Amino acid sequence: MSASDYVAGGKSERLVPRTTDARNAREASALARRRHGPSPAMWGMAMLVATEATLFGAFIGTYYYLRFKSPQWPPVGTPEPRVVVPLILVGVLATTSVPMQLAAFAARAGRLAATRAFLALALVVQCGYFAYEIHDLVDQLHRSQPQDNAYSSIYYMLLGADHAHVAVGLLLNLWLLGKLTTGLTMYRLNATQVIAFYWHAVNLLTLLVIGTLLSASV
Amino acid sequence: MSATLPPPAPAEEMVERLERMWQSRPGVIGWLMTTDHKRVGLLYFWTTLALFGAGGVEALLVRTQLIRPDNHLVSPSTYDELFTVHGMTMIFFFIIPMTTGAFGNYLLPLMIGARDMAFPRMNALSFWVFLGSAIFLYVSLFMGLAPNAGWFDYVPLASRKFDPGPNIDFYCLAIIFNSIASTLTVANFITTIFKLRAPGMSFNRMPLFCFAFLAASFGLLFALPPLTADTVFLFADRNLGFHFFDAAHGGAALLWQHLFWIFGHPEVYILIVPAFGIATEIIPAFTQRRVVAFPLVAIAELLVVFIGFGVWAHHMFAVGMPTIVVVFFSAATAVVVVPSTIQVFAWCMTFVTGNARFKTPLLFIAGFIFMFVAGGLTGIMFLAVPFDQQVTDTYFVVAHFHYIIFGAAVFPIFGGIYFWVPKVTGKLYFELPGQISFWIIFLGTNLLFFPMHLVGLEGMPRRIYTYPSGLGWSSTNLAETIGAYVTGVGILLLFANLVWSYFRGAPAGPDPWHGATLEWTISSPPPEYNFAVIPKVSSAYANWDVADREEDRRKLAAGALVLEQGHEQPVSSPIDGWFSEIVEMPHDSPWPILLALALSLVFTCLVIHKYVVAGVMVVLLGLVLAGWHNAEPETQ
Repeated sequence: MSASDYVAGGKSERLVPRTTDARNAREASALARRRHGPSPAMWGMAMLVATEATLFGAFIGTYYYLRFKSPQWPPVGTPEPRVVVPLILVGVLATTSVPMQLAAFAARAGRLAATRAFLALALVVQCGYFAYEIHDLVDQLHRSQPQDNAYSSIYYMLLGADHAHVAVGLLLNLWLLGKLTTGLTMYRLNATQVIAFYWHAVNLLTLLVIGTLLSASV
Repeated sequence: MSATLPPPAPAEEMVERLERMWQSRPGVIGWLMTTDHKRVGLLYFWTTLALFGAGGVEALLVRTQLIRPDNHLVSPSTYDELFTVHGMTMIFFFIIPMTTGAFGNYLLPLMIGARDMAFPRMNALSFWVFLGSAIFLYVSLFMGLAPNAGWFDYVPLASRKFDPGPNIDFYCLAIIFNSIASTLTVANFITTIFKLRAPGMSFNRMPLFCFAFLAASFGLLFALPPLTADTVFLFADRNLGFHFFDAAHGGAALLWQHLFWIFGHPEVYILIVPAFGIATEIIPAFTQRRVVAFPLVAIAELLVVFIGFGVWAHHMFAVGMPTIVVVFFSAATAVVVVPSTIQVFAWCMTFVTGNARFKTPLLFIAGFIFMFVAGGLTGIMFLAVPFDQQVTDTYFVVAHFHYIIFGAAVFPIFGGIYFWVPKVTGKLYFELPGQISFWIIFLGTNLLFFPMHLVGLEGMPRRIYTYPSGLGWSSTNLAETIGAYVTGVGILLLFANLVWSYFRGAPAGPDPWHGATLEWTISSPPPEYNFAVIPKVSSAYANWDVADREEDRRKLAAGALVLEQGHEQPVSSPIDGWFSEIVEMPHDSPWPILLALALSLVFTCLVIHKYVVAGVMVVLLGLVLAGWHNAEPETQ
């Protein structure tokens, strides 16, 4: 068996793509298309998502553990969570997965302007979502505090953890848009794909978190 | 046998270029900024060794306090801190970072034929964060404010009401701080194992060591978040007035135990599975035989961690759970025996059918198998619920888990140190003192831990400060304490041997044991770029594949696959190991240590309750991250 048997696609070793060869958007795109499977960067993000998802799993598990230990949920005197507005909001946030993924596709195709446009579009919607959520959080804190009872503790813990993940996503998008002002490189292409993946995960987690929190009203 | 012969003339220039490319900065700056997995591994090794010493001294103090009835060597509150910090140190600050941080970092890339970890700077970051967390915990001990509610820190004892000082705040934050370091390490391991294997190393050709570390990495990745959630809840309960564990406000004290043991039981396997991995490398080297039932052992290594996630409540049989829950967890505990036993039989059969040379590393592995079976048998006894309820929180439990943690996790670490130190220093240890150190440690630990079974069955509770005479516990406790000191002497002899060998040992050469895996194909100590030519792999025992190593030398002579145009590293497909891409790896960087410093500031502010300042420090941390990502690897 010759060593070249171990090269993907049965090519010669000399034809294996070299990341450093990409000097501009077109070359980066060409390299990304020749790549087999997710990049190490994507694996790294998958690890982060796996561990964060487990953290949220522990939070949500705690929510139901406390719920099934309680005779009344939410406890008497604590307002039930609103249903319609949060559901609409989370739906709006979930739709930003579309422009994020389109941005990742555009980056892979080497189309810089389209990448930026999709990212900016997603960022505007995400910022709107986040601003309203923070406003709403402050509003809710006037009616109940996490110090009230175990229900409020886990309610605000889940909500706060989710908002923190959205905030990190906003910062990542801002940083990426800043990077993309000076063109597309292999590194930025990877970053676009990875951040799009992060947002899919955050959107899914937000759906689960809001779904869990609203279950108290059902 | 090895590819370390002087490279043939045409390749010399390329190898020189490779050396220049991968050279670290000289001196202390080089160590502070290093991203070399071998240097990070050594930093982990020295740090965890120091912490092992600290944890050992704590253990000796605990044992000396218990040497005779009505002893008052240390005060009760100091005693509480000593056994708590002993447990935390040995688990979070010694075994996990020693196996993953030191052994894993140093050896994994070598075994899979890679030049570094997938994320070298993140690897350095994990060490500096780990160091920060260790300093954080030990500052609390020296201030007399160390955690004092036992390593599993049950509420309500650990709540603000019963433990008003900052002790438990240190516990919560030290655990979260340390978990960050572990998570960074294991995310790196998983990516490295899946993506950076040498071309041709498909999954079934990966050394068993790597399977073990993969299992431990997945275990940590999924086990640490419940612990993080738990400690976040406790910190919020204690300091921000939340009510997760407060039954008076709808919380549940048992919630702590569930979340803790969802982490805590997988943790046991996370502690010992890397030791299994070490054993599966030492046994083939000293029996000159491939491990029996390779696929079964590989699957068993993964399965033991997987099943380990489903047995947590067997730590809680005495708290009053519904019968159906108790029965389920009892049965699950019986199932986890199966993959463990598969491995024990595979090791024993490899011994029996191979040509065993009982050098010091193999002696430690034999001792490990003995201790693991002994500790495993007492472990199986706990799934009998009435028996468990009888001995819960007695010294019988202490005996059981020390047989597992010392016998099954630390013995292979010692064996592994003897086995790989010649690779790291290039010097052979002294065989006779090595074997003597094994026998001292083996006899010492059995003298230390075996009587604990007896005194536990007689009802001596764990964590007890002192005991009156006339209960029949006195002579057993005296024997245990003597055993502790004997063990300590053996461990000192072990490290004296290694230090002495560094100065006076015979040169080890690249392959003193005729080992099975790729690290033995390169010089001792390994060059900074690890492999002059990316090795070809067609079995899990790559160093025994003479034809492949010949081909490596031919390729080096022809200058093929040297990859010397930068910090270059091949990337492979995750399962089949197809060579699919060449990526540029980062150079030395000041950012990891700066980021760890910023994170240490955040935790320091949190423990003194300066939350606004902590917020400012988070912003600082963000700025450091931005600085880190300012330069792109491809343009450096």
